[in-house]
Amino acid sequence: MTLRPWQKNALRIVGFLLVLLMLVLAAGHYLMPQSNRYLEGYTAGGILGEDFDTIDVVVLGDSNAAQGIAPMQWYDSYGITGYTYGAGWLSMYNLYYRLAQIYEEQSPRVVVLCTAPAYSKKSSESYMQSAVGDIADELLPLLRFHDNWKYLNADNLFTEKDYSWRDVNKGYMPITDVSPRTGGDYMYDTGPEEPLPFLVQVYMRRIVQLCRDHGSQVLLVTVPAALGWNLARHNGIAAFAEAEGLPYLDFNLAENDPGIDWSTDTSDGGTHLNWLGAQKVTTALGDYLREHYTLEDHRGQPGYETWDGDAGSYRDARAEIEARVREAAGLTA
Amino acid sequence: MHTMEEILAILAQVKPGLAPAPDEELVRTGQLDSVEIMSLVMALAEEFDLEISPLDLKEENFHTAEAILALVNRLEE
Amino acid sequence: MAYNSFAYLCVFLPLCWVAWALLPQRLRSWALLAGSLVFYWLMNGAYTLWLLLAAAVTWALGLWLGRLQNLQAETLPTLAPAARKAVKKQYTALQKDLAAAGAVAMVGLLVWLKYLPFAAGALNAVLARLPFALRITAPQFLQPVGLSFFTLMAMSYLFDVRRGSAKPAGKFRQVLLYLSFWPHVVEGPFDRWDQVSPALLDPPRPSYQAVTFGVQRILWGMMKKLIVADRANMYVKAVFDDWTKYSGAAVMLGTLLYTLQLYAEFSGCMDMVLGSAQCFGVPLAENFRQPFFARSISEFWRRWHITLGAWLRDYLFQPVIVSKPMLRFGKWCHGRFGAALGRSLPVWAGLGLTWLVIGLWHGAGWLYVVYGLYYFALQWLGQLAEPALLRVCPALPGLRQRRWYILWQVARTFLLVNLGMLLFRANGLRAALEMLASLARPYTGSLLIKLDARDLWVLAVGAVVLLAVDLLHERGVRIRAALAARPLPLRWAVYCGAMLAVMIFGAYGDNYDPAAFIYAQF
Repeated sequence: MTLRPWQKNALRIVGFLLVLLMLVLAAGHYLMPQSNRYLEGYTAGGILGEDFDTIDVVVLGDSNAAQGIAPMQWYDSYGITGYTYGAGWLSMYNLYYRLAQIYEEQSPRVVVLCTAPAYSKKSSESYMQSAVGDIADELLPLLRFHDNWKYLNADNLFTEKDYSWRDVNKGYMPITDVSPRTGGDYMYDTGPEEPLPFLVQVYMRRIVQLCRDHGSQVLLVTVPAALGWNLARHNGIAAFAEAEGLPYLDFNLAENDPGIDWSTDTSDGGTHLNWLGAQKVTTALGDYLREHYTLEDHRGQPGYETWDGDAGSYRDARAEIEARVREAAGLTA
Repeated sequence: MHTMEEILAILAQVKPGLAPAPDEELVRTGQLDSVEIMSLVMALAEEFDLEISPLDLKEENFHTAEAILALVNRLEE
Repeated sequence: MAYNSFAYLCVFLPLCWVAWALLPQRLRSWALLAGSLVFYWLMNGAYTLWLLLAAAVTWALGLWLGRLQNLQAETLPTLAPAARKAVKKQYTALQKDLAAAGAVAMVGLLVWLKYLPFAAGALNAVLARLPFALRITAPQFLQPVGLSFFTLMAMSYLFDVRRGSAKPAGKFRQVLLYLSFWPHVVEGPFDRWDQVSPALLDPPRPSYQAVTFGVQRILWGMMKKLIVADRANMYVKAVFDDWTKYSGAAVMLGTLLYTLQLYAEFSGCMDMVLGSAQCFGVPLAENFRQPFFARSISEFWRRWHITLGAWLRDYLFQPVIVSKPMLRFGKWCHGRFGAALGRSLPVWAGLGLTWLVIGLWHGAGWLYVVYGLYYFALQWLGQLAEPALLRVCPALPGLRQRRWYILWQVARTFLLVNLGMLLFRANGLRAALEMLASLARPYTGSLLIKLDARDLWVLAVGAVVLLAVDLLHERGVRIRAALAARPLPLRWAVYCGAMLAVMIFGAYGDNYDPAAFIYAQF
């Protein structure tokens, strides 16, 4: 059989693209960090270091979640195992792929999806740019980790990657800075809802479907954020929750207020929570989880030795963090 | 009709030291840039009382001394 | 939709190409037109109307000019020789008026949309000195993308038709395609109608080689833009935006990096533009020819943004000098100051005007006026000094053939161009002067501003590669053709290496700021 010129050319292009794809995947593998500590901002990557099927509650979100929800406190108080998978600027597109990866090792009963990523977008990018960029990042690790060439040396090429690092705080980042917010109420009625961008909605639905396929229950949560949240956004998420038949817990609403004091509980004037705010939100969310789901007390169980050990480290560090943030907030001990 | 001597004299006035052979390439070799060409045009217009229009300002009319001579003779008609 | 965006490279360009290639030959130019209008609409929305308006005016005037020329050619031979001259004069005058009307329309559009606020500001500054209160408020428009490019191309079309060096287009869509053709509408080059219209209106057959060469050129442009320009931008932005904090070596490096950035970016964009057009078999004009090998300022400008310089030479500089008032001015100078000045003063007046326009074309602001005049002054001083230099050193013409002297000239030109770049990038005239003065002050801080040492290494290697490629081009090596003659494994290794380099070393992602194309803002 002889090929026509255009067929030959087409074959050549396909062949070239295949070779290129293999190289891109191989290069992407080598550029992944040596340790899961550096996979993602904050300590989200630590979830890969946990023993298989130990985590009952996975919290997905961005920096608001990473600074606002401290799962170790749940374990310490009730024996609930949770992990906050959150980092700066994570989008719903990112979170979908990350959750699929988490399901390879964990089978959580509850997935708490924080809502801030539904609306957050870097101002330098258009909506389409951020969608395309984030999805491409997930499909081709080379794009996500490309800047790691700076940390590459001859050793990394031949040593196995070590993804066994665990985070004592289980994805939570304790922040002790205090920078009060001066404005007043931010949840006043501004009229209609802010609709979810189309692709964001598609990916939120994909997340929900993924959870259903794995038998996890989904809870939508909004971490308190005076800057970045408002009633229009609440209404947008509430509409989504209703359409999908999901429970939605917005801690910004007065009726759910865990007692946030914006003069002491934020580290940057109302965008993110500090330790004080996180304690309140974590307690409120923990109460809600215990009330609405059956979650086991794993303390002392075989297979949870690392959790008991980490809980000890967490308790040891608490007092000092607490003292620092209270001093910064001008509160007397 | 003008002579090659006249053209070469004007070229030397416009750009001291320029003494090309009649068929030597001037523009592409960089011996005459666009500013010098325009000085040359002004000198030709002055010397021979020519009316030069933008339509005549093409590279092929200036690329050798011969071409310049041909242009001047054509415009005189 | 920027030329280096995913949407352009992976969606728009392939879709357009497939549509173009699959359509029968006589419909292919429609595919180009549809693609161009979609592209422009996506960037400008309703402002596309300005482009349509400009195209309509250009088309109508061009057609009119063509009719007049035909009529003239038919009527003149039938007339008695005595009457011919007068009739010809009438025709010429009419054509001149039509071309002038087109120029007024295009310049008017440019002024109206781009220069009005600046002009009003300048006028108000004058009015403020008057005893009575009178102020002008100029309406503020968003400037449509490519305005500075398509208006100038429209003028070149009309002037070429008027001069008889181009045939007018019969159909509106043909002129519209010429002005809106997506590769050159955002950042140029300024293409001439007679050079691009054959391939636009009667597209060649799709060719595998044209596509591969086009894609390779786009890839080369991506390397320049993403690896070099966007990386240098981090440093440049920090230093020029916060200039009071820096001095000495930091400002010097910032200026050098800005020169590198602008070159990598603008020439890289041209690579993407010319590569895109090459995929469709359209040969656009080259805008760069190894500018940093220039031995003088005027040579630099014949190698940098070539089509802008050529446009101004052909349609402003030369016509102004041979215009009647300028010839009269020359005579007057001749009578007053002698032959030499009578010759050169009009030329320098024309040159000054041209540089002023070059400055203003880059932006409506005093800084840009000074930028243009800076180059004018350099060129003038060079010319003025020439006789004196020859007198002091009669051996100069001989020296100029020597290699070391050429190197000195290249270095001198590079230095002067860098000073121009500092002026160009500075946040206003005062900042430029303060930055210049700060060059003399030592800088004790770290030179790692926004970039780490590894980034600076990438920039250094990038600069060397750019220089090496320019050197090969200067020696007449055609790199893509030379590569195509090599065995397949080597070729694929080079292409894969280039693509991986863009992906790995590209300055994109969370650690870098995305940078818009600089010339798209003019």
